Parts: sequence; structure tokens; C-alpha cells
Amino acid sequence: MELAHFPWLTVTILLPITAALFIPFIPDKDGRTIRWYALTVGLIDFVLLVFAFTQGYDISNPDLQLTESYTWVAQLDLKWSVGADGLSMPLILLTGFITTLAILASWPVTLKPRLFYFLMLAMYSGQLGVFAVQDMLLFFFMWELELIPVYLLLSIWGGKKRLYAATKFILYTAGGSLFILVAALAMAFYGDTITFDMGALAAKDYAINFQLLIYAAFLIAYAVKLPIFPLHTWLPDAHGEATAPVHMLLAGILLKMGGYALIRMNVGMLPDAHATFAPVLVIFGIINIIYAALTSFAQRNLKRKIAYSSISHMGFVIIGIASFTNLGLSGAMLQMVSHGLIGASLFFLVGATYDRTHTLILNEMGGVGKKMPKIFAMFTACSLASLALPGMSGFVAELMVFVGFATSDAYSFTFRLIAVLLMAVGVILTPIYLLSMLREIFYGPENRDLVEHEVLVDAEPREVFIIACLLVPIIGFGFYPKLLTQVYDATTLRMTDMLRSKAFAASDTAQPLALMPVLQAPEILE
Amino acid sequence: MESIEAIYEYAWLVPVLPLVGAAIVGTGLISYSQTTSTLRRPAAVFIVSLTGAAMVLSFLLFFSQVQGHETYTRMIEWASAGDFRITMGYTIDHLASLMLVIVTTVAFLVMVYTDGYMAHDPGYVRFYSYLSLFSSSMLGLVISPNLLQVYVFWELVGMCSYLLIGFWYGRKPAADACQKAFVTNRVGDFGLLLGMLALFWATGSFEFEVMGDRLTELVTTGGLTTGLAAIFAILVFLGPVAKSAQFPLHVWLPDAMEGPTPISALIHAATMVAAGVFLVARMFPVFEQLPTVMTVVAWTGAFTAFMGASIAITQNDIKKGLAYSTMSQLGYMVMAMGVGAYGAGLFHLMTHAYFKAMLFLGSGSVIHGMEEVVGHNPALAQDMRLMGGLRKYMPITATTFLIGTLAICGIPPFAGFWSKDEILGSTFEVSPVLWAVGWLTAGITAFYMFRMYFSTFEGEFRGTNKEIQIQLKREQLMAMGASLGPGAMNSKELTLDAEAHDDHGHHSEVPHESPIAMTFPLMALAVPSVLIGLLGTPFANYFEAFIHPPGEAVEALAEAGGAFDWSEFLIMGGSSVGIGLIGITLAVMMYRTRQLDPSAIADRIKPLYQLSKNKWYIDEIYDVVFVQGSRKLAKQVLEIDVRIVDGLVNLAGFVTLVSGEGLKYLENGRAQFYALIVFGAVLGLVLLSGIT
Repeated sequence: MELAHFPWLTVTILLPITAALFIPFIPDKDGRTIRWYALTVGLIDFVLLVFAFTQGYDISNPDLQLTESYTWVAQLDLKWSVGADGLSMPLILLTGFITTLAILASWPVTLKPRLFYFLMLAMYSGQLGVFAVQDMLLFFFMWELELIPVYLLLSIWGGKKRLYAATKFILYTAGGSLFILVAALAMAFYGDTITFDMGALAAKDYAINFQLLIYAAFLIAYAVKLPIFPLHTWLPDAHGEATAPVHMLLAGILLKMGGYALIRMNVGMLPDAHATFAPVLVIFGIINIIYAALTSFAQRNLKRKIAYSSISHMGFVIIGIASFTNLGLSGAMLQMVSHGLIGASLFFLVGATYDRTHTLILNEMGGVGKKMPKIFAMFTACSLASLALPGMSGFVAELMVFVGFATSDAYSFTFRLIAVLLMAVGVILTPIYLLSMLREIFYGPENRDLVEHEVLVDAEPREVFIIACLLVPIIGFGFYPKLLTQVYDATTLRMTDMLRSKAFAASDTAQPLALMPVLQAPEILE
Repeated sequence: MESIEAIYEYAWLVPVLPLVGAAIVGTGLISYSQTTSTLRRPAAVFIVSLTGAAMVLSFLLFFSQVQGHETYTRMIEWASAGDFRITMGYTIDHLASLMLVIVTTVAFLVMVYTDGYMAHDPGYVRFYSYLSLFSSSMLGLVISPNLLQVYVFWELVGMCSYLLIGFWYGRKPAADACQKAFVTNRVGDFGLLLGMLALFWATGSFEFEVMGDRLTELVTTGGLTTGLAAIFAILVFLGPVAKSAQFPLHVWLPDAMEGPTPISALIHAATMVAAGVFLVARMFPVFEQLPTVMTVVAWTGAFTAFMGASIAITQNDIKKGLAYSTMSQLGYMVMAMGVGAYGAGLFHLMTHAYFKAMLFLGSGSVIHGMEEVVGHNPALAQDMRLMGGLRKYMPITATTFLIGTLAICGIPPFAGFWSKDEILGSTFEVSPVLWAVGWLTAGITAFYMFRMYFSTFEGEFRGTNKEIQIQLKREQLMAMGASLGPGAMNSKELTLDAEAHDDHGHHSEVPHESPIAMTFPLMALAVPSVLIGLLGTPFANYFEAFIHPPGEAVEALAEAGGAFDWSEFLIMGGSSVGIGLIGITLAVMMYRTRQLDPSAIADRIKPLYQLSKNKWYIDEIYDVVFVQGSRKLAKQVLEIDVRIVDGLVNLAGFVTLVSGEGLKYLENGRAQFYALIVFGAVLGLVLLSGIT
């Protein structure tokens, strides 16, 4: 059998959910067999993904690869069509990687293990599906499908306010996805042909006003997911209540769906509207960066602090998407993968710390570094990664967004100047809240109340292993970013070219993004 | 000749060797912490020998550069997006090879010293791995071929500094200090990042010389106004301002003394803080075109030099005193750069690296000795009021410290004289006012350094005086209370008392000389502190023949060297030695022969005394404006987030709930009905957009 024609993506998407169906029949008394079963399934799926990537995926090709298409419901023209290009592939691999680690991270879960692992595997499928499907309707289904496991995982295994958080999450995202459905249907019925295929939808020529409306609808839906201020308030609640493994998925993968869809649909399918909306995106990105960094600084709850820091980091994704340069878009992609890794590792460590201290309030911690030096070291490493220390992936991503945006010729000099200045304020704010957090947890004299009442044991090998797995790519991409950027470079390059040709062709008379008089970058004489 | 080329090809090993050491030991610490922690000697020997190998390699490169080998650069493509490429690599030129030698020698000696100083510390192995990591980052910094790569390593040395200042993380002051250091440096990096981006935007390059050339071209052709170019350069200069502890971002350096003393010597005196001066040297092609920038640089340096010296006068903590002295000396270097005395600034960087490292290591030796008497309380062991007469007990430390003191005071023929004199001479040619500031500072320097030497090593030993001990403890508690603020009393604070009491075990009545592992580096550093200045004498300046600004012809320098003016040298040198001697005499009268009473003088000029003792109140001002201000702002933003943004959401939820009750009759549960609504909405949307 030829490797290239094997239905890799379908198999990898369906494998976890199919395997999950067998969970009720597995004889298991102490909950140990199931976790090994789930881990094995996750691992096999990840290995398959990596195999498919190395064998069937050509990184120099910007088009969709590993494509499959089967008619599902002929009357609705609904097709099961999957494929991966440079935008999907890194995130698909990230999903396999993080979800498998999240299963390993859920070792201590003892409450209803069957249901828990069932849901984890269901999420595995749903997440892969979102990144791989190439049919708009199917995308919507996958998007919705993955909400249900999250809702249950939040509302059963969450913290004290879990029901409130879960309800808020489901209302927000379901509300948001209604916009996807409406916009998708509108796009499908626009023009002469009725189609849900993403490629065909992108090829359609929409009127500019229609584009603007659809763009706005998509933006609302994805702004909830990403999240973008002011639609972010579900996130601190959901993240504040979730258990560590769910947390890893929420921060590591779910947030990336918003960014992915924003690039795939808003930028890829509605480029003319993107030219109009881009400055708004930049402004929202800046608000995200600064506003969330400040709220994170004031937060006293550890999980919420990190949750807000996620929002802050997503600001760079938004600005990268709106930069109209290949470098910026590339930086946005890198930031998504990088934050997926860093966010997951931080949330895992927060969970590990909570397992020991049984409190998330920073005032009740202090000086635990002496008892838990390994967790201290790992927490420090991951926090430094999060504050974009060079040598780690976050730095490269932010730098690419910075350079990409600063050298973008789509915006006026003044606008860029102010925007870069404000973005750079985030560079100062991030270490303030992350280092204060470290100081309050680990540094200083030991907090006697805590030391006397809680058993503070250091990290076990499983925990060290998980963090090591996450740190290897973080440092790897930080030292040599081409490892990752080359995977999607061809696709982002083509997308930027398309975007620029559309955006600049439409604006012969006036610069659409120039809010202020243009001061062109000086000519360089070679 | 081939072997020489091979050295250049493998020059990347210089930073990589220590990195390998740090990585292996660090991995061991995380994976098998028990085992690794017990393998103290093997881990230390492993790391020290790797650094030694890097040192040998650096010397080979240096000698090859001295013999006139051309600049060697190797680049690889690091990141790319489409046509855009960012390259990284390394470059070995005169400046880089000199810095390699300075960094590796000081790092090597500090590592040897650490074996003695940290012998009883449970974090011995961890300390070595951090040290090694730092050496690696610093070496990477000096061989960086472009501004972007400098920025990368710039942040990495900052991280190592953070980890090492907070090495004793159980101490609250250390915890505060490391965060302060990192954040203050980030403020500088904010400028550096913006400046770097702006220069890249304007010139399309991160390479130093290309940036300089293109910027000049742009300014002359009018593509870019001089003002804008100056702003970009000053933004870049903010980086060095933070890293080299220049006013107004100097506040982190004195606090950084909470780290173990070997760190203070290596990072916060000899190498990392000098990185700022190094960056200015690398950016020289850009800066020298812009007179405004040069003026700003020079004045920042001069002001910092004076300010540091003025604060150092009244410090009682021996390490804090040395820290302000470092700040002051860095000010000299920056001033030299600002007046265009490129060679002189770097010459002072080199001499200062050696004698200041020695002074710090000497102070560490003193503290090590004092701890035997007063216990492991930094507030007691580092306070000069408890010292005195130590020369009797620690002769090697005292002698080397005296050499260092003479060197920093600018007494010929010690190293500091030649470099400082050269700076002052070059400054006089540019601006007599700046020269006067530098000259006055030289006098203050001589005074406070000899005050420090006399209080520590001469007179009677006061370490066993219980009265002073109790008074110092009280001061410490008060300082703690003030920093925590009223109402912050909790169980954490009470540990301070316990800590102070629990180490009465190993007391002896008198301090002892430190072990050979600590005295050997002191003696080794004494040699360059005495002799290295002779490389840069005005009549035979080998140093400047080797180190000169890029683009400047060597012949011009040689000519200038030929026309050496003895009378000018004697006037300039004589005046700076003269004021140094005045300072020393004053110190002798006040702290040795006791003809003048220091406290009486302090009382007479109370406001000035308080200003100096309280470090010009800058920490207090920053605390109110920036620390409290940012906390308040953050709290308000969080309030807004919780009350308004999230409040609206919850209100909406509530309203829906209420109206949902009323809308019940619409919910008939038929899917077709929902589909109809959705379809209607779509139809409306399509129609609407079709019409418009």
C-alpha cells in the first residue's frame, strides 16, 4: 500500500474517539488500567501523526496535503473532507503532543476515571478535527463537538465555582459559534454555487460589504475563543476552575483554535475586509497585551494570574495576524505553538503546586522553594520562557511579530510607532507579574502555616518528565526557530502575498490602513 | 598556519564549553538531585576545567589577533520567513578577543575562589552550574556579530544575574533584589528593543557597521532627520544605562549585592555590568555620527560617576560600598565613550575588571572571616563598623585589597592610574567641565576607598563588640519593617530573630585567613592589577594600537603616539594623582590617625550626609512613583475587569434568565422552528449585503 494514499488524517481523528467507546468495557478495578489505556491510545495517535507528517507531508508545498474527501450527506452537500497545510500541520502536531501529555498529567485523577478519560479522548478527536477539516459545516460541527467534553470536564472535575464557570464557558462559546454558523451559511449560499468547501469558499468573489459583515461575525466568534478583550471574561473563570490536565488543553490548544480560524477564514477568505479590520485588530491586540498584563499583576489567585497572562500573550498573535507581513504572520503562528507549549507547562506546574499546597492564593504561599526545589526550578524555567527570554520559543515569536509589524509598510509610521511603543510596554509588564509570582510562591522565608499543615514533597519523576518534554521543543525552537518556521513558511508566504496583492491593489487612491500621514521608510541605497 | 584557522573554526566552542558543563550538571541536578549534590568536587572540577579550556582557547585567539590575524566571522541562517532572513553567528576581532580573555580569566579565577567561599553551602553544585551558564552567556555576548544577537545574550546574562542574585532564595532581601534587578534591566531592554527595531526599520540591518554607514548616509541625504536618528540611538543607549547601572537605572546594582560574593565579583563588577560599555563600543559606528547622543552618553557617565562616589562615602556595608564604587567607575567608562575616547574607555574596562574583581573577592574573604565571629548574618558580617584590624589576621587579603585600593585610586604605577588618567586627559580635550567632574570624583574615590581599607584592615578589631552588634541588628529589623510597611506583620517576619540566634554554634573570637582556594585568585588578580596598566602608558600605548574604533586608521594613532607631550602628561597625571592624594590624606586623618572626627563632620553637613547615606532618596522616589503606582494601576484595572467588563456579562446573563421566562412560549422544541430562524437570519444577511 502506498503511504501517501493512506487516509492518515481520518484515521488519526477517529482513532481516539473510537478507542474511547471501548472504555466502558475495560475491566478496571483501581482506575489504573484505564489511564494506561488512554495514554497508549494518545501515544499511538501522536506517533501516527508524526509518521504522517514525516512521510506524507512536503514542507515546501504551500497547498493542502494529506487530503481526503468523502461525501457524507449528499443532500446537504456535506463532505467529510480533511487536509493539512502549513497552518494546520503545526497545530495538529501540537494537539497530539499536548493532549498525550495532558493524559499523562491526569494520573492523579481519581474521580470517575472512566468518564474522564473518555472525555479526554473525545477532546483529542474534536481538536484534531477542528484543525484538519476543510469543510465549513464540518468545521462548525467539530467546533461544537469539542465544547461538550470541555463543559463536562469543567463542571464535574472543576473547583468550587465549577458550575458557574462551565456555564459561562458554554454560553460564551456557543453564543460565539452561532455567528460561525450564520456566517458559514451566508458564505455558502452567496453567489451562484452552493458549497461548503473551504477552498471553494475562499475562491468566491464577495462584495466588500458582505465581506465586512461576515468578517465581523467570524471575528466575534473567534474573539471569544482566542480571546480578545472585552470577550475574555469566561477565560479566567474557566481556567480558574479547571483541573491541571484540562487546563493544559484549554490553554495549550483551545485558545489556538481562535487564532487558527482567524487566519484560515478571516484572513484567508476575506482579505479585502481584513484590510479594513486590521488596524482594529492591532488596537485590540495592544489592549490585550497591556490590559491583561495589568490584571494579571493585580490577581492574587495563581490560576487566574496565569490565565490573564495567556490573554496577554495572545495579543501578539492578533498583531502578527494584522501585520500584513510574512514575518508577522509567521510570528503569530510561532507564538501560537510556543504559547501552546509554555501555557501548558505553566498550568501543569500550577496544578502540581496546588496538589501540594492546596491553595491558589498567593498570600497563603511563600518560601516553598526550600521544600520543592525541582518544582521551583521548573517553574522558574517556564516562567522565564513565558516572559520571552531569548533561547526560548516565546522570544522568537514576539521578536518576529515586533520586527514584522515595525517594518510593515501597510501602516503609517506614526501608527506603527505608537503601536510598537505600547507593545513594548508589555515587555516590561510581563516580567513584573511573573517574577512577583515566583517570588511570592517560592522565595523568602518559609510560610509556617503552610509548611506545618501541608506535606510539601518535591516533584516526582512523572512530573519532571512532562516538563522536560515540554521544555525540549520550547528551547529547541528558541535556539533554532527554523525547525518550526520552515513547516509553515510556504503557506504563510503565499497567504501574505495574496493578502498584500489584494489589500494594496484595492487602494490605489488611498492607503486603507493609514490613519496618519504616511512617512515611508527611507530608501536604502545598496 | 592551518592550526590557527582551525582555532577560528572552533571558536564557537568558547561559549559552548561552559554551556555543556552547565547543561550536564543542571540536568543531573533536576533528575538525580541527591546524587549530583553529593558529587561536589567532581562537578566543580568538571565545570572549572571546561572554563579553563575556554580560557586557553580565548588566549590562543587573542594572541592570533595580536599577531594581526584578520577579523573572522561565521554566520548561519537562524530564522527566516520568506525572503526575510535573520542570521546569527560569531565574529572574532580585536575587541571580541580581548573581552574573551578578560571574561574567561576572571570567570576561571572566580570559579576557583568559589570552591573555598561556598564550601559549606548546600547549593554548592547549583552555584557552579549557574556560574557556568553565566560564563557561557557572557562569552556568547562578546562574540556576537550583530545587535540582535547581542540582545539575545544580553537578556540571557540578565537571567543568570537574576538567578544568582536570588541564589539564597530563602532570604527576603535576596528575593526582592533579584526581581528588582531583572525588572530594572527590562526597562533598559525596552529601550534597546525599540531602538534596535527603529534602526532596523531605518537601515534594514542589524550589523553594527552597516547600520552606522547607512545611518550616516540617510542623515546626510536627508532621508532621516538627525533628531530621529539621535532618538533611536538614545533608545539603544537605554540598554547600557540599565546594564551598566547608569543613572537613572542604577538602583538594581547595590541591591544585587545580596547575591553570593563571587557573583558580585564576576557579574556585578568585572563582566556583565561592563557589557553596557561593550555595547556602546560596538555601537560606536552609529553613535559617533551623532553629537547629541555622544553628549548624552558623556553626561550620563559623568553624573553617574559622581553620584556613585558620593554615595559610596557613607556606606557601612563593605559590599554596598564597593557596589557604588563600581557604579562610579562604570560612569567613567561611559563618559570616556561619550567623549569619543574609545580606547581609553575599554582600557579602563579591562583594568577595572581585574582590580575590582580582586577587591570584591577580597571583601568576600573578609566576610568569610567575619562569619566565623559574628555568624551568617549579612547585616553583621558585611558591616565595616564591626571590622577593623583584620590585617593582623588576614595578611594576604589585606595586602591584595590594598593593591586594589591603590589601583582604583589612580596611584602610579598601578593599573587604574593609566586608564583613569587617559580618560581624564581625553575628556579635558572635549569638555573641561566634564573633566572637572571626573577629577573631583577621583578625589572622592581615593577618600572612600581608603576609608574602606582603614575601617576594615587597620585599627582595633571590633567584631566582638556586643553593643555594636545589637545596634546593627536593631537597624536591620527597622529596615525590614520599613520595607514591609505598617500592618504587614505576619509570621514570616518573626523568622528573622530565629535566624539571627540559631547560629551561635561555631563562633571563634578572631577571624582567620581564608583557605588557599580563595587567596590564590586574590594573588593571581593582584598581578594584572599592578602591571596591566603598563600596556597603555601614554608613551607606549600598545593597548590603543590594538583596540581602536572600527574604521579609524591605525597609522593615525601611531603618529599621535609618536608626538607624545611629556609636559601635558605631567600636568594631567599630576593633577589627578594630586587630588587622589588629598583624598587619601583626608581618609588617613579621619579613619587612621583620628585627628578629625567623621561623625562631627557628618553632623555639620547633615543634609548632605543624609542625602548620601540615603542614596539620594532615589529608591524611595521610585517606590512611590513606579512600584506603588503600578500596583495601584493594576488593581484598578482588575477592578474594572471584574466589576464592569465581567459585570456586564453577568448582568446580561441575568437579564436573559428573566426574559427567558417570558419567552418560554416561543420554545416549542421543534427543530424546524430553530432552523427557520437561522435560515431567516442568513437570508436577511445575504439580501442586505446584496442591496448595499
